Amino acid sequence: MTTPQIIVMIGGILLILFIAWFFWLSPKEQTRISTNNNGTQEVAITVKGGYTPDIIVVKAGQPLRMRFTRQESSSCSETVTFPDFNKSAKLPEGQEVIVEFTPDKPGEYGFQCLMGMLRGKLIVE
Amino acid sequence: MVKDPVCGMEIDPNVAFESREHMEHKYFFCSESCLQKFDNNPHQYVLMTEDPIGSATTGFNPNTRVLQIELPILELAKEGQPGGELIKKALKKLNGIDRVIVNSTSGIVVVDFDNQVIQIQEIVGVIKKTGYLVGGSKTRIGIENIRCTSCVGFIETELKATPGVLDASVNIATQEATIDYLPEQTTLHRLNSAIEDWGYKTRPALSEESVDQQQAAHEKEYKRLMNRFWFAAIISIPVLITAYPKFIPLVRDWSMTTLRVSWFFAALLTLPVLLWSGGDFFNGAWAALKHRAANMNTLIALGTGAAWLYSTVAIGFPGIFPEGTSEPFYDVVAVVIALVVLGQALELRAKGRTSEAIKKLMGLQAKTARVIRNGVEIDIPVEEVLVGDTVQVRPGEKIPVDGVILEGSSAVDESMLTGESLPSSKKVGDDVIGATLNKTGAFKFRTTKVGKDTALAQIVKMVQDAQNSKAPIARLADTISGYFVPIVMILAVVTFVIWFDFGPKPQLIYGLVTAVSVLIIACPCALGLATPMSLMVGIGKGAENGILIRSGEALQTAQGIKTVVLDKTGTITKGKPELTDLLVVDKQQVTRDEMLRLAASVESISEHPLAEAIVEGARNKGLSIGKPEAFEAVPGHGVIATVEGQRVVLGNLKMMKRENVDLVDLEVKSEALANDGKTPMFIALNGKAAGIIAVADTVKEDSKEAIAVLHKMGIEVVMITGDNRRTAEAIARQVGVDRVLAEVLPEDKALNVHLLQAEGKKVAMVGDGINDAPALAQADVGLAIGTGTDVAIEASDITLIKGSLKGVVTAIEVSRATMRNIKQNLVGAFIYNILGVPIAMGVLFPFFGVLLSPLLAGAAMAFSSVTVVGNANRLRAFHPKFRSR
Repeated sequence: MTTPQIIVMIGGILLILFIAWFFWLSPKEQTRISTNNNGTQEVAITVKGGYTPDIIVVKAGQPLRMRFTRQESSSCSETVTFPDFNKSAKLPEGQEVIVEFTPDKPGEYGFQCLMGMLRGKLIVE
Repeated sequence: MVKDPVCGMEIDPNVAFESREHMEHKYFFCSESCLQKFDNNPHQYVLMTEDPIGSATTGFNPNTRVLQIELPILELAKEGQPGGELIKKALKKLNGIDRVIVNSTSGIVVVDFDNQVIQIQEIVGVIKKTGYLVGGSKTRIGIENIRCTSCVGFIETELKATPGVLDASVNIATQEATIDYLPEQTTLHRLNSAIEDWGYKTRPALSEESVDQQQAAHEKEYKRLMNRFWFAAIISIPVLITAYPKFIPLVRDWSMTTLRVSWFFAALLTLPVLLWSGGDFFNGAWAALKHRAANMNTLIALGTGAAWLYSTVAIGFPGIFPEGTSEPFYDVVAVVIALVVLGQALELRAKGRTSEAIKKLMGLQAKTARVIRNGVEIDIPVEEVLVGDTVQVRPGEKIPVDGVILEGSSAVDESMLTGESLPSSKKVGDDVIGATLNKTGAFKFRTTKVGKDTALAQIVKMVQDAQNSKAPIARLADTISGYFVPIVMILAVVTFVIWFDFGPKPQLIYGLVTAVSVLIIACPCALGLATPMSLMVGIGKGAENGILIRSGEALQTAQGIKTVVLDKTGTITKGKPELTDLLVVDKQQVTRDEMLRLAASVESISEHPLAEAIVEGARNKGLSIGKPEAFEAVPGHGVIATVEGQRVVLGNLKMMKRENVDLVDLEVKSEALANDGKTPMFIALNGKAAGIIAVADTVKEDSKEAIAVLHKMGIEVVMITGDNRRTAEAIARQVGVDRVLAEVLPEDKALNVHLLQAEGKKVAMVGDGINDAPALAQADVGLAIGTGTDVAIEASDITLIKGSLKGVVTAIEVSRATMRNIKQNLVGAFIYNILGVPIAMGVLFPFFGVLLSPLLAGAAMAFSSVTVVGNANRLRAFHPKFRSR
């Protein structure tokens, strides 16, 4: 094996490790939602290539209000669904859409666009 | 001299402080403060000086400053609500309120107020604070080319000053005004002219229907994608020529130097393709990367980005690469982006068709209604119809909203909502459903549900929710696609390393081409689209056939049903007794019709369901019913009355014994009838036995046929009922049910369903949704049989709007067809990726020496997701066995 080949081999292995770490193992940023005066947990979520914030920590038993604003025209993200809560909403571009429900049971629930390209997670504590 | 419209002072126009033009009138002001007041709300002062608009409806009297307004308050009419007093007290506290009259029964508050001191909006606000809402309509009016923010304020004030307007706001971004108003007191036309007074043109607001909105958005997005596609496609042509010079006649003869120059041009040309046509991929990839996530965009961005960068470095610094490897791949960049963008555009087109069912449902809505207000018929948009309005419907017209018939009768075609092909006859007191078609007669009805509360609106909402829900089968695909993209990236790295280290020469080229192919051919979209697209079409198809499936989960469970439990009363049978048999002892003494006529006359004042069945039976035969005299009901026995001089006794065996009637052979005959599940009643005329009248809850016409088809589908059918075994088995024989659970107490129905489940079968329960709710909830799939409007049956997973068992068959058929389609999609998408990725990696190369071109990989990727959506669209051709016309 020539030197460039060995370098490519080692580089490749390192790159694979990096990919695995970056997408699966690294800790992800969580956004904790506080409760406002009315007892509602409210969060504004921007939809553009992904959900920002995408990992949302909320308290169980308190109403949750998510204000989605889609800032792209790609049709992938036009619907957001919360399969575990049987909730979904159409998100017209540039328009704020409110999704409300009260998460009762603690746990981790995913939310996503219809085909699962954009994903977020709701952590109920 | 002119009058200052604000303070009323007479002034000389020439020495006036300032002037304003408003609604084609010029006004002069004495001071700055008057001017300011006017500018804040010009309409208020215009009203003071001109004949008011709509004085007849508002009771406005220009000589006093006191205005009167009637405000309908929602839920005020409900009994036991303290609202009237609350509102009165709160309003009385305000300045400028002269008088408040509360009419709780009609739910109206009449307020006399001084509009110089207080505005309607404030009054409405105060009422809101007491916890009540002012009823009214909300409408949106589009305003063309509104740009300046100050005009927004003017138009808002103008609208707010229009009599009958509760609130108004103008959104400059959407170019629309949103107005809360009382439809009794103003019309859309008047609202439009209030806006036009400011020199703006009005247009209908963009439809609020999400489907229309979505369609418009799709259309825009399609155009955007197609522009990007064409740009990339056109650039692809010269780029391809420079990439394959050997195959192009003239170019073949170019020198290496000319070729190198052409490559530089290719580099420049493909840059806008990469950044504009493929901009979405890079933006999307970057956005995902920020969330430490990766998706289809990441793959395409990496693949095309790598190809461009390598090519540019290769032609810029050919020296740093081994000989023969400094060739560009600009063709990959342009062609792959063109193909994938085209794929997205086609996918969008195909997606649009999946929501056709919803569009059809929404299209059923009538656009206008003929409402009678103050004795005058007016045509108004259906959005303005209020609860409690009286609506006139003529033959051949659509019924605009839900309501109850007040006057007249007709036959109404409800097939569009219930799938019931025969028009149902409607008389005073019957419910009518919005969006159904009035056939023969004219009638007036009182509206009970409008807007989002109508049956149609609820059906649409429910279907949309279900279409966007998830089927459990999608979980696997979801889990996989969560890992999919990083795995593909890893495989691309592995591919590059293997080709570079172990492949033939030129290794760098081979490594790069294969790695790029891997990135491009992998298609997470096909996996992600597989389930939702089929679900969308399948659930829509169900709705078209009168079957409302609540969620993807319900749809998936329904395909595996092995046992169907049918409630007897109201599900298999009509749930209402009908006259079935007439037996007379001696035709000389009395004919059957005469006996029925006498019996019906006796029963005409009774309200017992059996009595109703007899009266109904006589009416259907066109018999004229007489008047009973000396009517006497003997509890547990029957009834006695005198009709036209004859003493008629109608009742059971006990009654006949009590009256000492000799029954001859009637007792034996009644036994036989009872064995068939009927309820026999004896009739005696003037103390002599005359005959038997039998009534029974009869089986629905199509129950037998539906049960036979269920059997053919390999499904066991069980009947469950609280009736005695004899009646139950009689019905079971008639319809061909194989298993009967009789004498089951209502509260034990759920337990019985559970016992069937314990036999290891997937059990569906079919019932009426109210009495059977626990059993419906216990079953794997609960199907509620509705009657037209009961769509919001909570306990059920599936609602059959048409009250027929055929719906059960169709529901299972839809479920099976949809699940089959989903499986095809999933298997297709899996196989595509499982075969495609290794081929792109080059596993065929050692054996056959073939390698997949990245261009082909791009084409495959683009059309795999189009194929999935296309396959889902095949479901639109689904036809149930029982076709509803």
